[in-house]
Amino acid sequence: MVRLSATRGVTESVFLIKLALKNLTRHKRRTLITASVIALGLFMYIYIDSMMIGMINLSFDNIIDLEAGHLEIVNSQYWEEKNELPLSNLIGIEDNLISEVKKTPYIKGMLPRLKFKASLNNGIDELPIIVWAVDSDLERNVLTTSEHLVEGSMPQKGKMEAVIGKDLAELMDLQVGDFITLVVKTKNGDYNTIDPVITGLLQTSHPAINDSIVYVPLEIAQKALNVENQVSEIVIRLEDAKYTKTAGVELSNLLNQRPELEVETWKDLSQDIIAMNEAQNMENQFIISIILIIAAVGIINVIILSALERLEEIGMMKAMGMREREIIFSFMIESVGIGILGGIMGCFLGAIGVITLKKYGIDLAWFGFDGMDYGLPLSGVFYGEWNLPVFIFVFNFGVVVSFLSSILPARWAARKNPIDAIYHR
Amino acid sequence: MALLELKNVKKIYQQGKIEVHALSGVNMEVEQGEFTSVAGPSGSGKTTLLNMVGCLDTPTDGEIYLDGKEIGKLSKEELAMIRRNNIGFIFQSYNLIPVLTVYENVEFALRLLKKYKPKEIKERVVHILESVGIGEMIYRKPNELSGGQKQRVAVARALIKEPRIVLADEPTANLDSKTSTNVLEIMLKMNKEMGTTFIFSTHDSLVMEYATRLVTLKDGQIVRDERGDGISVSN
Repeated sequence: MVRLSATRGVTESVFLIKLALKNLTRHKRRTLITASVIALGLFMYIYIDSMMIGMINLSFDNIIDLEAGHLEIVNSQYWEEKNELPLSNLIGIEDNLISEVKKTPYIKGMLPRLKFKASLNNGIDELPIIVWAVDSDLERNVLTTSEHLVEGSMPQKGKMEAVIGKDLAELMDLQVGDFITLVVKTKNGDYNTIDPVITGLLQTSHPAINDSIVYVPLEIAQKALNVENQVSEIVIRLEDAKYTKTAGVELSNLLNQRPELEVETWKDLSQDIIAMNEAQNMENQFIISIILIIAAVGIINVIILSALERLEEIGMMKAMGMREREIIFSFMIESVGIGILGGIMGCFLGAIGVITLKKYGIDLAWFGFDGMDYGLPLSGVFYGEWNLPVFIFVFNFGVVVSFLSSILPARWAARKNPIDAIYHR
Repeated sequence: MALLELKNVKKIYQQGKIEVHALSGVNMEVEQGEFTSVAGPSGSGKTTLLNMVGCLDTPTDGEIYLDGKEIGKLSKEELAMIRRNNIGFIFQSYNLIPVLTVYENVEFALRLLKKYKPKEIKERVVHILESVGIGEMIYRKPNELSGGQKQRVAVARALIKEPRIVLADEPTANLDSKTSTNVLEIMLKMNKEMGTTFIFSTHDSLVMEYATRLVTLKDGQIVRDERGDGISVSN
């Protein structure tokens, strides 16, 4: 008996849902406009989210492929002063260290690198830059720098050669074949120069490499700085980024005989980006909140207008014995219907936006800046990424906002005096 | 025991600083199956009386008993349930839901009762719509119907749940005389077949002619109460 009554209650609810959905078709344009406001908010959220993921992923890729690999071995004291690029607390390249590092699980390659500050002189102007001294043969197994050569070749081992970013070359009016002078301060505090010929120009998606880094052969730099056989760090490439944590722990264990050394992961180097991503997420939430508040006002407006238009019907429903909560339910379903419609439209538009963003990307140059302006190591074109959970989240969020914003106006409508409603007083 | 009993019912509305005495001590009993017309000039209290009887409003003073139960002391929820189970309404402006078909408008009243299975609902709705002569129009929307057809749907909607009382406020006001006759014939037929009690408020002499009882109101008081078939209308 109870079950039978419950079943009939469900069929009554189904009828009310049907009525609410039919009511949505009364003023199609109004329903569509309100749903569109929700859709716009959801679309913007999806689009910005896709853009941000694309930017963050490209930043991470740049850090891994062009800057830090998956792991770095550094002297812990050097790490504390890493931004100063000191020539103290360097790592001595010894055979037993190399053989220990080679035992790292999933290792694909390693690259000893010396990083230091210098002034680049083209004979007319001078510019402070950073020099990365590497063995180009080893670098190919660890980083993808050489794949971004737009002209010439990487510097050869032991030769007085250099590769610079295309932007830096344009700024200093340099081209392949030109000689440059790098004024450096040696470990002892004396000044020295390195005078390489430019053998190649780089154009990467990492703005720092394009405009402020010069590559020279490792031995040339070590000799000029008086730090023979020493490097700032050893960059390690693994078979896949997913092994970073495991390999990092193993490598730390392998190096336990050298307590002054520590292992840093690419994530440790990306803390600023991660923090920025979180800040951007908050900004994103703020944007959607503003838009959905507008949508909520729209929904409240729609429900009040609907109630005013349907006063006689509401009165009739009450005369027929419909309870206030059933009338509220009917209006809320109507509102949820708008939310669902807006959610579907928003997700559809979002999907189109993501497809477009993934296919064509966005060139930061269109806006006259690169990622470094926002603390992200990226420049040029970046592409969007799919994030399915965000579609589910925004859809649900739109429906919930619609639902919540209908409560008060629905109560207002349902509490109308039936006589006033019927006779439209 | 009378189906409906009003004892010294008063209703006072406040309009700004002025008190309007819509009903001033109405005493009346209505028996099951009566076909009663409440007449009187505008402002005499006809609609207020119907609203009281229909549990849409409560008296300022006095008592109203429906089936022996005093309705003035019931909560909103309880009043809603009395309306749902015992009272059918027919209004001058039909008040059909425009997005629903004829069938759905009538079905709605039965769905609220939560008493019938879907198959039974369908049979009952189709039957009553055929009884009021619009069996072929069940899939039409209200905007595709004439005034008379709409009022027939409203009659079907009021009667489908087999209420104890049907209250009709000026049911023929928007209809021509031929259609009015038609609708009244249907209501009379239902009154006879189903024993439903009808109470009309009306200005229409035609309605009064169909009534078996005529109650005349003036200034919120009953000034005449006559019983008999085909009551002649003199005022």
